[in-house]
Amino acid sequence: MGLGFVIGAFGVMILAHAAYTTIQYRGLLKIMEEEFSGPPMNVVVELLLGLVLCMWAALTVPGKFLSIHPHSDENRIVSLPANMDFMIFNHRGKAFPSGMDMKLKH
Amino acid sequence: MGHNDSGGSEKKSSESANDIQTFNAENLQSNMKVIYYSRTFLAIISGVIAGILGFTGLTGFIFYVLIMAITSLGLVAKAKFSVHSYFDSWNRIILDGFFGGLMSFVLFWTFAYDIVHIF
Repeated sequence: MGLGFVIGAFGVMILAHAAYTTIQYRGLLKIMEEEFSGPPMNVVVELLLGLVLCMWAALTVPGKFLSIHPHSDENRIVSLPANMDFMIFNHRGKAFPSGMDMKLKH
Repeated sequence: MGHNDSGGSEKKSSESANDIQTFNAENLQSNMKVIYYSRTFLAIISGVIAGILGFTGLTGFIFYVLIMAITSLGLVAKAKFSVHSYFDSWNRIILDGFFGGLMSFVLFWTFAYDIVHIF
């Protein structure tokens, strides 16, 4: 989570730098009185790098997918109480309806 | 071994597809939210990139479709290629958030293009 966020921020910074480089390149073209035909090579490489980093961030930061099947492993009751040896089932409380509902994970 | 494993999971998913459709709605909502975040962020980023590259007209929209296709691929890979254990249909992972992202894309595309190429 933290790592993905840092990677995403780095990607955005790379994109900002690429934009700045392109602005400077256009200024240079204006001085040399040439037409803009396409961004220079290093800008394209920076943009690709930024895209890859941001895609990594976009795929990892928002969280994991959770299984939607009610009977899958992740949605089961995951843990029983640790002190099983001390549980007594044959006591007077069984005359009453129990309001116990096990918490599902998530 | 790996082949056996994948066959088993495939069988399980097809079985549950034939069964009565009961899903954990909360987890489905959470998955949709994850997809929505991913798509919105990548729409913004691809808009900035298209603006810096100086795309105009149809090229930019083709670029957007391309990026969204790559995003869908990444999301499927994130779901470990078993889409039906995380979503109820393929449309969720491929189409959802596409047009909402298109608006963000156009906004940031024009924004970046104006900053870099016009001002």
